[in-house]
Amino acid sequence: MIWDAIDFICRETVLQLKRERLIALATVSTVALVLVMTGALALLLINLRLWTERLSAELVVHAYFAPDRSREEVEAAVQDIATWADVQSAVLVTKEQAWRWLQENLSSSDLLRGMDNPLPDGVRVQVRNPSHIADVARRLAEVPGVNDVVPSAGEASGERGFVKTVIRARRAVTLGGAIAYVLLAGVAIFIVHNTIRLALHTRWREIYVMQLVGATRGLIAGPFLLEGIVHGTLGAALACCVLVPAHMYLRSLTARAAPFFLLAPDRALLPFALYLLAAGAVLGLLGSGVSVRRFLSHRPEWLG
Amino acid sequence: MSVRVEFNDVTVIYPNGARGLSGVTLTLEEGEFAFLVGPTGHGKSTFLKLLYAEEVPTRGQVLVSGWDVGRLSPGRVAQLRRRVGVIFQDFRLLPHRTVWENVAFALHATGMSYRAVLRSVPNALAEVGLLDKADEFPSRLSAGEQQRVAIARALARRPPLILADEPTGNLDPRSSRQILKLLLQANERGATVIFASHDPSIVNAARRRVIALQSGQVHSDTARGTYPDDLGRD
Repeated sequence: MIWDAIDFICRETVLQLKRERLIALATVSTVALVLVMTGALALLLINLRLWTERLSAELVVHAYFAPDRSREEVEAAVQDIATWADVQSAVLVTKEQAWRWLQENLSSSDLLRGMDNPLPDGVRVQVRNPSHIADVARRLAEVPGVNDVVPSAGEASGERGFVKTVIRARRAVTLGGAIAYVLLAGVAIFIVHNTIRLALHTRWREIYVMQLVGATRGLIAGPFLLEGIVHGTLGAALACCVLVPAHMYLRSLTARAAPFFLLAPDRALLPFALYLLAAGAVLGLLGSGVSVRRFLSHRPEWLG
Repeated sequence: MSVRVEFNDVTVIYPNGARGLSGVTLTLEEGEFAFLVGPTGHGKSTFLKLLYAEEVPTRGQVLVSGWDVGRLSPGRVAQLRRRVGVIFQDFRLLPHRTVWENVAFALHATGMSYRAVLRSVPNALAEVGLLDKADEFPSRLSAGEQQRVAIARALARRPPLILADEPTGNLDPRSSRQILKLLLQANERGATVIFASHDPSIVNAARRRVIALQSGQVHSDTARGTYPDDLGRD
């Protein structure tokens, strides 16, 4: 029985798609256009998130110990800092390591020749969450023997601080993206809804005959719902055909021209494409569902 | 294979205040064939619509095989309609589907398997003598042929109750007799048939039960009757 119903729904959907090829083509291409915009926005958000995460990972706090502290005291303090809940890692940077790095990286390292090492021992602390960086800086400043913290708690929490900017950018990207998703999804649902409504009105005779011979609501609605899903999925597939190659091309460009802004890797595009197809199907189902529900719940005039 | 129909003091009042039926009480036994006669607009179509749940009574009770039509859930309405074959004056065929597809669609839409549809459609078309027109579209057929397609569609599922709402209204006398013959054959197979008409020649030829409606009320009910002389026709 269920297979007979599925068979009927599939046959009727194929028949309708064949019969109304132009309408189907118009709907699929319009949905594709909307999903290209939605997908482009999604890719932008994916890349912005990736960049902000990369930047967040670069956000570290350096603490410098007073010169009178012994190496054992410094090592014990670093071990203690590493156990803090907000801290991802705490690495001891000895004054010898720091001096060597300075000599190797300073372009005018000749100036340093013959000088005694003036640098203190330090610790390089990476935090788990960038928004906690000011707290960690404050606590580091309170550790016995710590002379200086860079950035300081004040710098890290300052409104114009880089950390704040990155956090704000992430929040803005997430919120703006959510609003744009909702708007674009609404547009896609509206497009499919209108097409299916048109299909329902052009096929009122079929619906009437189905009601007359005792077709269930599911059987009457089924072909229209499936048609909506097909429109949405085909639109999404078309959008993928535009977005995936475009992203791959842009990635190859940025890899050469701006490695700092390297786009998301190609392997991230497979889940993206699957999500977009699923989104297309769901939007198509919602659009057609709204139309069918409205149409079947109102008693049409032609029933007399 | 057939159903019993019962009207208990049934009144239908439309939203605009017009009365479709007023206090109708009658019973049709299983396997009965009855003509429903009366002028246009005096309740024949309302009477039939109640039986396939396109209308519900404002007051009273309509029972089809014990099912109270006014209290059916949407799922039950679908089940009821699978047991009812309805034929209209204007055929109500699907213009973009062939004769074969029109009959097949009605069967397939009720969940019949495609294999069973392939078996049933030729039999249904052969019964009404239209197997050779299976690939034609309705617009290429005469009015009589279109009505026979509608009958094939209605009878293909062998429904135990057949409702014909002025099925000969647009047909010539020869086609009308063919339609009457097909419905009498269905009745002989056991179906309960209600045939709404205001054509005395058809009613008088069959000599079956005649229920006359006037102003939504039962004017007369005769076991083997003819078209009442005192009843209007238009």
